[in-house]
Amino acid sequence: MIVLRGVTKIYPNGVEALSGVDLSIGKEEFVFIVGPTGSGKSTLLKMLYREELPTSGQVVVDRLNISELKKNQIPFLRRNIGVVFQDYKLLPMRTVYENVAFALQVLGASRTYIRRQVTQALELVGLLKKAKCFPGELSGGEQQRVCIARAIVNNPPLLLADEPTGNLDPATSWEIIHLLDKINKRNTTVLVATHNKSIVDGMRKRVVALESGRVIRDQQLGVYSNVI
Amino acid sequence: MSFEFFLREAWNGFRRSGIMSVVSLVTVTVSLVVLGTFLLAVFNLGAVMNSVGSKMEIAAYVDKTIDEYTASTYMLELTKMEGVDSVKYISKEEAWENFKRDFEGRLDLQEIMKENPLPNAFVIKVKNPTLVTAVAKKISNIPEIDEVRYSGRLADRFQILMDAVRLGGLILVFLLILATLLIVINTIRLTVIARQTDIAIMKLVGATNNFIKWPFMLEGILIGIIGSALSFVILKASYDLITMQLLRSMPFIPLVTSRSELFMIYAGVALTGVALGALGGYISVNSLLKELEQ
Repeated sequence: MIVLRGVTKIYPNGVEALSGVDLSIGKEEFVFIVGPTGSGKSTLLKMLYREELPTSGQVVVDRLNISELKKNQIPFLRRNIGVVFQDYKLLPMRTVYENVAFALQVLGASRTYIRRQVTQALELVGLLKKAKCFPGELSGGEQQRVCIARAIVNNPPLLLADEPTGNLDPATSWEIIHLLDKINKRNTTVLVATHNKSIVDGMRKRVVALESGRVIRDQQLGVYSNVI
Repeated sequence: MSFEFFLREAWNGFRRSGIMSVVSLVTVTVSLVVLGTFLLAVFNLGAVMNSVGSKMEIAAYVDKTIDEYTASTYMLELTKMEGVDSVKYISKEEAWENFKRDFEGRLDLQEIMKENPLPNAFVIKVKNPTLVTAVAKKISNIPEIDEVRYSGRLADRFQILMDAVRLGGLILVFLLILATLLIVINTIRLTVIARQTDIAIMKLVGATNNFIKWPFMLEGILIGIIGSALSFVILKASYDLITMQLLRSMPFIPLVTSRSELFMIYAGVALTGVALGALGGYISVNSLLKELEQ
């Protein structure tokens, strides 16, 4: 599903966010990318949906080489990737339903198809009853679930989550992670970038640890840190 | 489905932008009213100048040795001449009668002159005041025409003035349209920037650039249409009022009142508004998309 070969990313200001990263993630895996702030987690995710380009090395997502992708092909790459953000990135002037439907409208989907998919997605995240609410009327956890519903409404094979629990309390964080796990079990590859130790330790999934832009550990059934 | 979606998005965008939409709308309306006022002024100036010009006549006096019948045959030749609007033949008897009537009581003409001293003449009106000199020259080339009189220097000056008005008007209209475009781009750009998040999210969920552009262009067109309609109402109401008042007090002023001519002006202004809206929407969303790609 995802292959990174010798990926280095140096930002225009000279910061080396990633250096020589090799990584391979298979279909339907659930992987935590962990590491302190500034270790390159976000950069790694951004390259997968081509928000950023690698300075050198190869990034291949679903057999597409990101560097070779033409500008007008980017939208079609993104339609196969759902992205969940720490700050949700919901449209404040649209209802929950409209926010989720938006992701399908831009694909030019029919209204009946949109209704069916949005209803399913909202049901999955448990927010069908709040479909007519505006984001401002929801709690942080609920907003994050709307964001997840929007990310998966198109049934993408890959779901990326950048610090999805960063703004949430522990109990709500667990709800969100369980939701992501549920989505993973419906045959979606899930990548979660996080520095939430208790969640990583509790889930016992594959863990890729980054430090200063390098992969320092790649472990199945891993934990946040080997240092006790 | 898609077009309906674009329309709905455009309308929602317009509605949700609230104060920003109102600002753009007022800006567009005011700009169009200024443009329309200027166009009306130019057209009216043109009408006034044309009517002044149409009062410029050429008088052509026929050689006195030529008999009346032969003289009158030049009528056809003159009428066929390029740029000539109408030709009036005035026989020397008619001219004499006129002359006598004009000076009756003041001069005892019978005493002074027993014989009619006046020549047969043509009074020629040209289609356009700028043609006076050229037509007069052509007429004077006819050997049987003894003398041609016209207000030559006035006609020449008039031509220069007309050219200046025409060129100046064209430049000013162009500048005004440019200014209006810049204002429209700027105001629509503000509404686009206000929805930067929307655009970023649209790109994130895989919307193509064209898909993102359409609602903004339609929104621009919508602002253009409403602005055009408002400016039409304002322009028409105030122009009708002003012409009514002016014609009542100064009925001799040749104001533009023909429906078809006014319709052309109003339609021109309205089309400009719609085109400016679309172009403004396109340019502003395009530049923002370029910025986002960097």
